[in-house]
Amino acid sequence: MSETSHVTRRRFLQSTAWMSGAIAPGAGSWVVPPAWGQSGNPIKVGIATDLTGAIGYAGNANANIAKLLTKEINAKGGVIGRPIELLIEDTASNESTAVANVRKLIQRDKVDVVFGGITSSMRNAIKDVIVTRGKTLYIYPQLYEGKECTPYIFCTGPTPAQQCDEFIPWLIKNGGKRFALPSANYVWPHVLNQYARKVIESSGGEVIFEEYYPLDQVEYSATVNKIMTNKVDVVFNTVIPPGVGPFFKQLYEAGFQKRGGRLSCVYYDENTLNINAPHEIEGLASCLDYFKVVTKEDAPSGRIQAEYDKQFPGNIAFAAGSAATGMYRGLKLWEAAVNEAKSVNRDPVAKALDHAKISEGPGGPAEMVPGKRHCKMRMYTAVAKGGTYELVARSKGLVDPKEC
Amino acid sequence: MLKASAATRVAVLELALLVVFAVLPAALQEFRVVFVTRVMILALLALSFDLVWGFAGIMSFGQALFFGAAGYTVALLARDAGITSIFVVLPAALGVGLVLAFVVAAFLLLGRHPPSLTFVALGTLTGSYAADRLARGWYYLGGQNGIPSIPPMTAGPLQITEGLAYYYLALAVLVATYAACRFLVRSQLGLALAGVRINEARMAFFGYRVQSLKAIVFSVAGAIGGLAGGLYAFHEGFVWPNMLGVILSTQIVLYALFGGVGTLIGAVVGVVAIEIVSFVLADAYPTIWPIILGLLLLLVILFRPGGLISVLVPRRERIAVLGLARLGPPSAQAEAVDGAA
Repeated sequence: MSETSHVTRRRFLQSTAWMSGAIAPGAGSWVVPPAWGQSGNPIKVGIATDLTGAIGYAGNANANIAKLLTKEINAKGGVIGRPIELLIEDTASNESTAVANVRKLIQRDKVDVVFGGITSSMRNAIKDVIVTRGKTLYIYPQLYEGKECTPYIFCTGPTPAQQCDEFIPWLIKNGGKRFALPSANYVWPHVLNQYARKVIESSGGEVIFEEYYPLDQVEYSATVNKIMTNKVDVVFNTVIPPGVGPFFKQLYEAGFQKRGGRLSCVYYDENTLNINAPHEIEGLASCLDYFKVVTKEDAPSGRIQAEYDKQFPGNIAFAAGSAATGMYRGLKLWEAAVNEAKSVNRDPVAKALDHAKISEGPGGPAEMVPGKRHCKMRMYTAVAKGGTYELVARSKGLVDPKEC
Repeated sequence: MLKASAATRVAVLELALLVVFAVLPAALQEFRVVFVTRVMILALLALSFDLVWGFAGIMSFGQALFFGAAGYTVALLARDAGITSIFVVLPAALGVGLVLAFVVAAFLLLGRHPPSLTFVALGTLTGSYAADRLARGWYYLGGQNGIPSIPPMTAGPLQITEGLAYYYLALAVLVATYAACRFLVRSQLGLALAGVRINEARMAFFGYRVQSLKAIVFSVAGAIGGLAGGLYAFHEGFVWPNMLGVILSTQIVLYALFGGVGTLIGAVVGVVAIEIVSFVLADAYPTIWPIILGLLLLLVILFRPGGLISVLVPRRERIAVLGLARLGPPSAQAEAVDGAA
């Protein structure tokens, strides 16, 4: 007994040692100081985003666009005469690590504003540290399910209303009336589907089924079978990676598109486009605040995209689904608010941010809806064609977020 | 002679750590005080694991279950019942951990046949995993998003917020729990547990109800894990499914193994060492620090399988020192213990 327990223990130690690196807690951080030295009092801007972990590609795009904008703003003399110092912390796709690192921003660095968080669970984890306990302004850049109405939190990504109001009537016209809502089982799909169902039914469509699957499910033959036998016209998908790739592939192989079915997915951008082979998702429709193809018709978008591609060549794309466009919008709106308030203190900035506007940005102009802390913006509907997007519809003017 | 000095060395380390923790806030910025508070709460959790594995030989791969369940309980108390009083929430956290651990112990340990090490390890792991999945899918618990914005803990009219107040609360709880564990493992029960760990069959023949002893320790450790979970929930201000899950459970095991099991203080040392090293590394090498940390842990575990604490307390000594210290001169026990270890 004593011998075996000894051996077991040692073997156990040796066999589990490798895990230490994989699950070690914590994350990295770095500082981008203003380029010139004479001004002693920079404005501290905190960025908390997922640089490492499952959605690292999105977090890095967020950090990149923040660096790009900071450089641009500082080159023009900063905001209210002060340069911006960017402090970037990793939230590591891990809420517990994130809280510890965001505390660094709030308690150690005493930043004037925090931008970041991508998933809703991340926002929920860090918002208290920033807003309630930290008494700091927080700007959340990602498309999400809505209902974040905490004072001092401003959201600059699209809401369900912005992604559904014009998109679903388009889907009914260009796909059909019978909708299926296959979804990953977490908060965003549940709340988004609630809204989508309302719009589908009020626009004359019907929901054939709405189902939720575990986040890591990769086998969808039962779902595909249900879609095919029930003669579903439109698949309004909220299954996420890693399941979405196999799901779309199986759907394609069952002949869904061949018999005229319309695939749709509102978080699909240039990054997610590469998950499947182009022919498998031919005709997939998405509705976002920005697609790369918008640069052809909106000059400011073209300038931003070109500048980004020049400074950050490589595979971390500037795309709407990863919150990078919301980050751009948020930073510019905040800059406008600080210029109006002539201060970086929370209350005057929040007051000015409440009605802040920018005339240029990715996808076009944007403005905050007074009293709502959400952002009006243009929305675009695009369809995947041979591995890129083609714009098929655009909103007339700015779309209301209909939140709070 | 050697054994007495090993016991002394442990006692000196314990005392030194206590003094350091007590005066540390005077030397730290507020932000670092909050960081150390979190480390102490995690130390409580590592302590609970050391109790079951280091002393009773129960491989619990699911200590996070009790931690997370208690965290969710106090979060719900605060959110739905508005109860934030320390005199309710901490006992509640402790109670949830205790009861849940007893249920798990009844299921895994108190069956007709004595369970194998693997069975218990996988059983606890499964419990932790199942709870994680349950929390992710249950909207009353906030699903994947967890429960945010937990109001601060209160004591009468006072709010205990993160910073000095919470620091000393966590320290007090840690010291009290540590003292209780220390008493437990050096009592007759602790001695019987050492026997169970080393030769379970022999202890059974002596007439000890081996599985009941294990169930008791497992429940006590669950209570400690619950207490830690309650403290953690209010300190961080939110709870989320990972608090229940396999990753945290594994992390706890690593803390204890890194520091050294079977000494209690080793678990605390492990948490302090890992957390501080990762804190420093993360600032110095933002992109590759997890790899450095991993290599460091690997080196310690390969070359010092007894953990950091084995520098002070050789593996073969710890049972005698910490089990029989109060039973007079150790000469009589020395042989038996050496043979067993």
